Amino acid sequence: MNLSKLLLFALPPTLLFSCDIIDNNADDFEVPPTYEFTRNGESTVSFSGQTTRIKMGDELFLAMSDFNNTTEELLLQMYRNQADDGTDVDPFSDPGLNASDKSIKSKVAASRDYFSTNVSLSAEIKNDFETWLSGQVNDVFPNRNQLAEPGVAGQIADGSGERYINAQGLEYDQMVNKSLIGALMADQMLNNYLSPAVLDEGTNREDNDAGVTVEGSNYTNMEHKWDEAYGYIYGTSEDPANPNSTIGNDDRFLNKYTGQVSEGEDFASLAEAISEAFKLGRAAIVAGKYDVRDEQAAIIQGAVSTIIAVRGVYYLQAGKRQIEAGETGSAFHSISEGFGFIYSLQFTRVPGTDQPYLAHSEVKQILNDLLGDGENGLWDVELSTLDALAEQIASQFDFTVEQAASI
Amino acid sequence: MKKSAFVLLVSFTLWSCTSDGPSGPDADDFDREAILINWADHIIIPSFTSFAESSAQLQSDAFTFAESPTLQNLETLRNSWQSAYLAFQHVSMFEMGKAMGLRFRDNLNIYPTDTGEINENIQEGNYNLELPSQSNSQGFPALDYLLNGLGENDTEILAFYTTSDNSDAYHTYLADLTSRIHSLSNEVLTDWTSGYRDEFVSNSGNGANSSLDMMVNDYIYYYEKHLRAGKIGIPAGVFSGSPLSSHVEALYSKGFSKALFNEALDASQNFFNGTHFESDGSGESLGSYLDFLNTMKEGADLATLIDNQFDAAREKAELLNDDFSAQVESDNSLMLSTYDELQRNVVNLKVDMLQALNINVDYVDADGD
Repeated sequence: MNLSKLLLFALPPTLLFSCDIIDNNADDFEVPPTYEFTRNGESTVSFSGQTTRIKMGDELFLAMSDFNNTTEELLLQMYRNQADDGTDVDPFSDPGLNASDKSIKSKVAASRDYFSTNVSLSAEIKNDFETWLSGQVNDVFPNRNQLAEPGVAGQIADGSGERYINAQGLEYDQMVNKSLIGALMADQMLNNYLSPAVLDEGTNREDNDAGVTVEGSNYTNMEHKWDEAYGYIYGTSEDPANPNSTIGNDDRFLNKYTGQVSEGEDFASLAEAISEAFKLGRAAIVAGKYDVRDEQAAIIQGAVSTIIAVRGVYYLQAGKRQIEAGETGSAFHSISEGFGFIYSLQFTRVPGTDQPYLAHSEVKQILNDLLGDGENGLWDVELSTLDALAEQIASQFDFTVEQAASI
Repeated sequence: MKKSAFVLLVSFTLWSCTSDGPSGPDADDFDREAILINWADHIIIPSFTSFAESSAQLQSDAFTFAESPTLQNLETLRNSWQSAYLAFQHVSMFEMGKAMGLRFRDNLNIYPTDTGEINENIQEGNYNLELPSQSNSQGFPALDYLLNGLGENDTEILAFYTTSDNSDAYHTYLADLTSRIHSLSNEVLTDWTSGYRDEFVSNSGNGANSSLDMMVNDYIYYYEKHLRAGKIGIPAGVFSGSPLSSHVEALYSKGFSKALFNEALDASQNFFNGTHFESDGSGESLGSYLDFLNTMKEGADLATLIDNQFDAAREKAELLNDDFSAQVESDNSLMLSTYDELQRNVVNLKVDMLQALNINVDYVDADGD
């Protein structure tokens, strides 16, 4: 498994494609040129629930900096898509999102593999987001027309613009945005929908082998689970069947950073590796080749985990460079993004195992260290700390700090 | 390992095409301090001195107008706004030291200005111009709106300062904006003349933190982002796809954007050539440094190429309307061809010159969120 992962990362996309052909020969099943699958002439691909949650996340992020209209209650309702007492609410501007019975919160830290028997940690993580949402309204909003300083929330210049930070120098909206990439997108994708525990649940294999579709739908349960994983990265793509044509431009979450990381010369094959693995794995499900399916899931797990880690290291190094240049506000912005990517690392997945690259406890230690050089968090952070934490993360992966920093 | 070999190969190859190689003059043999002294004593400090004087005049004329808002006083104030705005074009590129700490350029010249926020500040009164979020409601572009953009004609504009319900608030805002420009300019000038000049000149080594490396980076950044993009490229739609005629400098004055551009182009060229501020004299410069190194590009002298390219851009810009906003709307292709001429010197300066001088670019584009 490890070998095939390394090979995929090393090979250019054209050679990757030939791997499919080899697989085709070995396993003899059809892989379509794009992510399009049909039964009786009708598409079997569906991931509307994922598209909905990505859009909810987008509105939630934007609302966090809407000083004139946003309340704490509104942010929490957008996160939960229900009121305190569980009644239905309409917090979104998009009526389709208000009509939905889905929510962000219900799928945060909620994967089968990581959290089904660890609901106390799941609750802790779900609450982290609520703490950040509340902090934005209660700590940052009242100080929005005040200059931030150590220990005091407010605004700080970043280039020609400004950022709004808490007393520790962190931007809550960036923490929420980037942490959702792990807690919602990666966790659901890598540790839930791509997991055999979900894909093979109940009679899924028998049903899939026999072509038994879900009542009222055109897909088998297993097909649909795989598509739901697909939706967490490509759910708002301009052309979801051919997602790499606009990768990086379709959301502010996993899609965006898959595109950005893949712009680096050392990581250029990642976007293609992920989409190819999704397509091949889906074709394998149609063909009933479950070992091939699981190989593709492993490729996706490794690649998506790598993207999160590269970005975390990148922002720590960007912050270091900006502090050296005296650009405090830019540095705090970068490190706030980095905070979210580091937080997301606890939801990554080492292929072939049931473990993240960095455990919850390690992630907590890194974030505590990041804010722990003095009593005022990022205002006191030392360059050596940023380097050490970047090294600690990169050492768990097949890339160096320099490679991540040079994107 | 693979990557470091690649970098070595690239730097070796580049070296070989932009200079006459390891056997030629060594960049370290040049007297870098002589350049720094020429810049500080004959360009930077005289430019800031001139700007501080014209911003004092601007403030004084604003106070006079606030006390006695006549048409004549308005025209006097507009004239000193123009003089100060032109003088500013000579200091805008020196965003280092105190200027960087104060966010000097952002406080003085972000455009388009935020007219909604300006109106809100005037109505409500309790603004803090030191907040970064207020950068786009002050400085020269905000004054442009207050002096030229409040109404269709002088009578309408004057009415805001004479007969309107909150004319006092307009007087106060004018006074506050001009006072802030004046105090910021004094702060930067004082810093240069009370210690920073010596610090700047003595930091004459090479490396990322040396004065020369930092100044050259600031200069090229200014040329690329504020001269090429801000004054020409953005309104011409180079970055957005469609032209944005409301994004020109001095939008409301309808006819001053070209003068500001030309002044900034002159200042940039003078800096490259080491030409003294408001004088025909000159001293050591980036141009003479390149000449010392015999830097050639495609068989031609690089310093001459760069100097000529400044002239080419100026010549192309001569065809432009005095009002860039009108130019964008009538024939944007002339704006685009001016941009092309400016862009040619980005390559000369940022790629060829920096390689010859062995200076690294210290800025990158932000990722936009």
